[in-house]
Amino acid sequence: MTQSSIALERNGKGGARSLVALAARSYWVMSALSAVGFLVLWQVISMNVPPIILPTPQKVIVAFVELTSSGELVKATLETIWPFAVGLALAFVVGTGLGLLLGIFTPVAKVLDPYIFVFWSIPNIAWLPLFIAWFGVDNATLIVFVFVSAVFPQLLTVEAGAKEADSFLVEVARSLGGTKREILHAVVLPSALPYVVAGLRIAVGRALVGIIVGQLLIVATGIGYMFQFYGETLSLAKYFAPLIVVAVLAIALNRAVNWAERVLIPWKTRAFA
Amino acid sequence: MPALEFVKVRKSYESPAGERLLALDDFTLTVERGRFVTVVGPSGCGKTTLLRMAGGLIPSDSGEIRLDGVALESPSPKMSMVFQGIGLMPWKTIGDNVALGVQMQVHRPRLTADEAQLVRATLELVGLKGFERYYPYQLSGGMQQRVGLARALVRQPEILLMDEPFGALDAQTRAVLQDELLSLWARVKSTVLFITHDLDEAIYLSDMVVIMGRRPGRIKQVLPVNLRRPRTGYDVRAEPEFARLRSIAWQSIKEEL
Repeated sequence: MTQSSIALERNGKGGARSLVALAARSYWVMSALSAVGFLVLWQVISMNVPPIILPTPQKVIVAFVELTSSGELVKATLETIWPFAVGLALAFVVGTGLGLLLGIFTPVAKVLDPYIFVFWSIPNIAWLPLFIAWFGVDNATLIVFVFVSAVFPQLLTVEAGAKEADSFLVEVARSLGGTKREILHAVVLPSALPYVVAGLRIAVGRALVGIIVGQLLIVATGIGYMFQFYGETLSLAKYFAPLIVVAVLAIALNRAVNWAERVLIPWKTRAFA
Repeated sequence: MPALEFVKVRKSYESPAGERLLALDDFTLTVERGRFVTVVGPSGCGKTTLLRMAGGLIPSDSGEIRLDGVALESPSPKMSMVFQGIGLMPWKTIGDNVALGVQMQVHRPRLTADEAQLVRATLELVGLKGFERYYPYQLSGGMQQRVGLARALVRQPEILLMDEPFGALDAQTRAVLQDELLSLWARVKSTVLFITHDLDEAIYLSDMVVIMGRRPGRIKQVLPVNLRRPRTGYDVRAEPEFARLRSIAWQSIKEEL
């Protein structure tokens, strides 16, 4: 039982008490309740403001079904997902690899860190015009932009993780006669693993921002372009459809990272299960 | 026959203020093969420095440490260390943690069938049969130290170096593990160099108690312990000889506090 529900029960808020206790016990009841509450709130607000400000949930659902059955939403989603996936995958591989390299070989880090810091400090969006000049108004630009958005958090988190290896565990491994290579394998890499996942969590979020911004501002494809188009034409009900897709995508990706965390670092995640 | 020798060993550290602190000075000690030798002394007397040098983890400034008559430069596959902090790899299961002791000894990640059998037998020896697939966080402190012991014993070491291995455990668990260590030692017959600040523990376990003086660390007194073995069979702590040794050791240490 959560602390808040205990506190509420002690306060003894009459009939609400057992409901709160029930909700706290069940994740699904809690989720359903919050979803219903959200929809009710949306309904109430949308009935009291002009439709140009906020469409009702019903209108959004109708628009969503319409855009889905016409194939527009599916096409846009695919147009968004693949450059996103390619850019993120490249960022993950390069960021993790380079991060480990820099974290393990400090002399390399000393040489490369200033460059990384400079590139990391430049706001991503400033790269876009340059990438268009280099790669054209094309998926190539989107992939590179997603890559640049996601690679730095991955790299910097993994680098920090590789430097984080517990010096006592390294000494224990040395006492067992471990060579540098064996210690790297048995101590340094496993202790960096939680940081690989933590980096991925940040990288996924930034990659998602990257793909939407790139499509919205420049390349005019996919979900990003739907935002731009229906925003400019003030078709608000339709504007909400890609929003739902992005939300679902974000939730799904977060679940995927949680799953990766459970599989890759069972000694951490299960400790709190 | 000496298993481990310290010959005029000297070791100093640099303090944060930049001055040299002498941790060990002119330290000479011979540990005969098969003996259980314990080093006691006030904190900061250089006990742990001594053990880390014996384990080949840090070099001495001068003097020599010999293992089977040969100067020791780096960690030896003939030795195993057990630490107060245990130092299990949190990402490895109990079975894999013990296997690591062999893997880093033979420098091969894949164990032979015999080696894998040895890992299982050692786990059984320390009373952890059935825990192979647990992670360290799922075990109590006492059980974790059994794993630490198993990781050391699986290497079938000639010399076991133990740095206050039971220091972080509660009194009951400590007593149980002391008895288990004695019966394990009776079976494996390695030489043991054991560090502790607990006099009762030192006398109970050892053939010889080395009392160290305060900085710079030197040997102050050596007490042979002639209490009958096996000591798990009777109430050693109630023997008059135990009380006599304890009193001598305590007097000697008190002067250093």
